[in-house]
Amino acid sequence: MVESQGLAALAGDVAGGSDQELVDQARAGRREARETLARRHRQAAYLLALQMLGNRDDAMDVAQDAMLRFFTSLGSFDRERRIQPWLFAIVRNQVRDLWRRRQRRPGERLGEAGEALTRHLVDPTANPEADLRRSELRHRVWRALAELPAAKREIVVLRDFHDLSYSDIAQVLDIPIGTVMSRLHGARRQLRARLGGERHA
Amino acid sequence: MPEQCGRTFDEVLLSGYLDDALVQGDEQRVRVHLEDCATCRTLVEELAAVREATMSSTFDTPRDHEWPEMPRTGASRLAHGMGWPLVMAWVVLFGGYALWELWTEAENLLEQLILVGGVSGIGLLFLRVLIDRLDALKTDRYREVQK
Repeated sequence: MVESQGLAALAGDVAGGSDQELVDQARAGRREARETLARRHRQAAYLLALQMLGNRDDAMDVAQDAMLRFFTSLGSFDRERRIQPWLFAIVRNQVRDLWRRRQRRPGERLGEAGEALTRHLVDPTANPEADLRRSELRHRVWRALAELPAAKREIVVLRDFHDLSYSDIAQVLDIPIGTVMSRLHGARRQLRARLGGERHA
Repeated sequence: MPEQCGRTFDEVLLSGYLDDALVQGDEQRVRVHLEDCATCRTLVEELAAVREATMSSTFDTPRDHEWPEMPRTGASRLAHGMGWPLVMAWVVLFGGYALWELWTEAENLLEQLILVGGVSGIGLLFLRVLIDRLDALKTDRYREVQK
């Protein structure tokens, strides 16, 4: 069973209590609760921003702004819902704001930034040489993902890297849950076609 | 590379099958179809391999010290919220006073023109930033949340 980095980030730090308890404490002004929430969720926010932008500095800016916005809107956050989809929707919004400021169309592919994205990949195995083929496949997959339009890239990343459920993805993308599967399948097919084309080239 | 299998089967279900997100009836339908369709079996295997590669990827992430501290308490948030309006008020008052002084001190038309040109340029840049911010605000799904 493969554990994704996004999932691993959430699984760590259970000592601080559940997200719901921390949200309650943070609303009551407890500083430690805010710090624990930030530590628990900021890496996932950063990773999503990095996967959408391909640039470390931009991703860091977006993740910081998203965390700040998350905390300023904590008062109206429904504590019964999961934090991650809410935070990811904020990240997505911040990414789109950044594109707009730079006059980039949201549908644009990452281009050179996609190559930069693969440079941030690290090999999780103790013996990278023994796992060379899998490592190469990972690099090829992320290069192909970077070539997908943003709307297709984001849905694959949300499902396959961050391990979000279909209902969480629907919340992040603000689409009906019934649309998630068809959109995801279309994106996966396009990704596979890119990989196939690259292989044949 | 397998393409559409051409049978009466909704291929989209294959992604739901892969994600274990189907209701029992649909999952059964996919299982039965896969037993009989090599094209879709190959597609599922390829999609699963790509999914596994994505899922098992790891990226380097910023260290703890690279993250700035969050505004934490009510007092901190209040200070954060009041800081910028106060700075803006100071800039307007001090800038206005300085401009008035420069204008009245200007000895000839050239100095007045330089002053007007500089102020106009800075004003236009500021206006552009303001317009961009307002445009971004209009399309922000969370503008209601922040109030």
